[in-house]
Amino acid sequence: MRNCPPKLACALMLAISAGAALPAFPASSFAAMTTGINDAKRVFTDEVGRQIEVPAQVRRIVTLSPDLTETIYALGLEDRLVGDTNYCDTPAAAKQKPHIGQPLNPSLEAIVALRPDLVLASTSINRRETVDALAKLGIAVYTSNPHTVRGVLASITRMAQVIGADAEGKALVTQLQARLDKLQARLGELPLIHVLFVVWEEPLISIGQNTFIADALRWAGAESIITSHENWPQIGFEEVVRLQPDYILFTTNHGGDRKALDDVRSRPAWRSLRAVELGHVVVSTDEIARPSSGLVDAIEQLARKLHPELFSVQMQGNSSWIGQEIPPYNFGSAAEECGACAR
Amino acid sequence: MRPLTPRRVVGMCMALLFILFVVVVISLRMGAVPISVRDIVTTLFKSAVGRQDEVSSEFALVVFGLRLPRIALGILVGAALATAGASFQALLRNPLADPYVLGVSSGAALGAIVSLIVAPFTPGAIQVAAFAGAAVTIAAVYFLGRRGGQLDSATLLLAGIVSASFLSAVIMFLMTTLSGRDLRGMAFWLMGDLSSAPRVDLRWLYLLLIIAVGSIYTTSSDLNLILTGEQEARHLGVNVNRVKLVVYVSASILTGLAVSVSGAIGYVGLLVPHVMRMLFGTDHRLLIPASAIGGAIIVVAADLLARTIVAPTELPVGAMTAIAGAPVFIYLMRRRVR
Repeated sequence: MRNCPPKLACALMLAISAGAALPAFPASSFAAMTTGINDAKRVFTDEVGRQIEVPAQVRRIVTLSPDLTETIYALGLEDRLVGDTNYCDTPAAAKQKPHIGQPLNPSLEAIVALRPDLVLASTSINRRETVDALAKLGIAVYTSNPHTVRGVLASITRMAQVIGADAEGKALVTQLQARLDKLQARLGELPLIHVLFVVWEEPLISIGQNTFIADALRWAGAESIITSHENWPQIGFEEVVRLQPDYILFTTNHGGDRKALDDVRSRPAWRSLRAVELGHVVVSTDEIARPSSGLVDAIEQLARKLHPELFSVQMQGNSSWIGQEIPPYNFGSAAEECGACAR
Repeated sequence: MRPLTPRRVVGMCMALLFILFVVVVISLRMGAVPISVRDIVTTLFKSAVGRQDEVSSEFALVVFGLRLPRIALGILVGAALATAGASFQALLRNPLADPYVLGVSSGAALGAIVSLIVAPFTPGAIQVAAFAGAAVTIAAVYFLGRRGGQLDSATLLLAGIVSASFLSAVIMFLMTTLSGRDLRGMAFWLMGDLSSAPRVDLRWLYLLLIIAVGSIYTTSSDLNLILTGEQEARHLGVNVNRVKLVVYVSASILTGLAVSVSGAIGYVGLLVPHVMRMLFGTDHRLLIPASAIGGAIIVVAADLLARTIVAPTELPVGAMTAIAGAPVFIYLMRRRVR
């Protein structure tokens, strides 16, 4: 200290504080610049209670999760979709859009560079920090937060309104609702089948009652045996043995029903379950874990698998039923990410 | 070794600041959105002369709204961690001491998480809680690390490692009891992440950084003497207890500051002071400022890599520093043994 004057310390501090002064550059002033002046603004409240302001016509949309991308395509608004995530694989055309990274850790600057009028986020997969950061930059972010199948439909309606495509939203939701009603009429008062929904195997993770997946199961005439309040509870296998589900339900990272059954039968603990002995192992598409328009396809498919007797009888009377409502695009091979998405 | 003159200290610091400047410019230029140096210069010029409306908006948003604040955060975190590391190493007379290894980062992280549960929307609460967590942890590790009234190097490190794993377990427990949405953010934050801007104004955090680094700097000649032994320093007229108090409190503030905004970024506090010692010698009058600037350089550079190598997806910066830092740590450790 003796031969080292305090001036040095001061110089150092000045250098550092010079760095501190720069980020004080007002981000809000850019917000005014990113959006046109001529457009009339519309104000909405999103599903997590944030106020957002969007132009009368939303022309540039960025989606932060695969289910939202799918919904945009189902609404027929893909021309306005300027960016999506690396995970967006349904429909296949979504893979060709510019990507902004993964849903959990997207590149904020990649989003900004796409000059979106509206960013769509989902509580099921995105981080609050991402939404906060974008909002701070003056970008309108609508966060969807459905907990039920009806909630998913309401969310689609709402997002269509925010985009300024009310008619498209109404048409899609009416069609989806009609299919659900039809299914419900068919299932009638049938007792619910008790299923174990497997999100992840090691460790064993299932779904809680407050998830839209649990609700989707009810629409398909089934019920999750897990009654946790957490969304993605980790389950001890003893609990599964005690509860003895009627069916075990996997998502597509297992291949087909046959492969999943063989797989489960090769494992000592699982083999002893009554459902496995009876061969009651079913694989659903990834769509069951995505709160999008494709969820209704997944519900229909699952209902057919869980209640085959009901549908085979009906099919003889009305053989066109199965082929009647073909999804607008092919949900062939969904990606492995499903487990990750659902979490 | 040449005597340490003020001139030499300033010269070295200027050289390091120049390197930091270069790294900052590269960081401003590179990212998921390609931007040339010329664009940056013209933008800076246009904003400086008040012709801001000519600047393309998303470009300005990317450079000034996103990259610059993130770089500023990186400088803050790097300087805080490296200075804390250098002070812990001096005070504990242990070259392997650092906020991460001693469990102080975990203590700060636990404090921050508790504050997020108890008072999620109080600005500054997370910083105070992180500081409290850091201070309590370093005190506990210090007392656990003593044997027969003496600070034992191996015992101290073991105490730090045990504290870190205990605190991590408590964090895991707390995280599993939180709702899904909070958990995702926190899992990222625990890895060390600069992508989310802090809720408090950066200028307050910088002020805190300057005060804490300044306080440690005032003790740097005393730290030089303490390095030779506490008894010896006492005989030479150093108020050892006062120095210890100042440095522990300041280093805890620095750790709490860094962890509260970026999570636990490892190895910066350990390696940067080592490298600076190899370059400039062990005199703390140079080592403290050099470590602060060096830490800033390393974190900004690591975050640049984290942002760009798998763009547009971003990696947590803590993963980058650990991948690069762990092998260097082993190299340094083995060199020391021989």
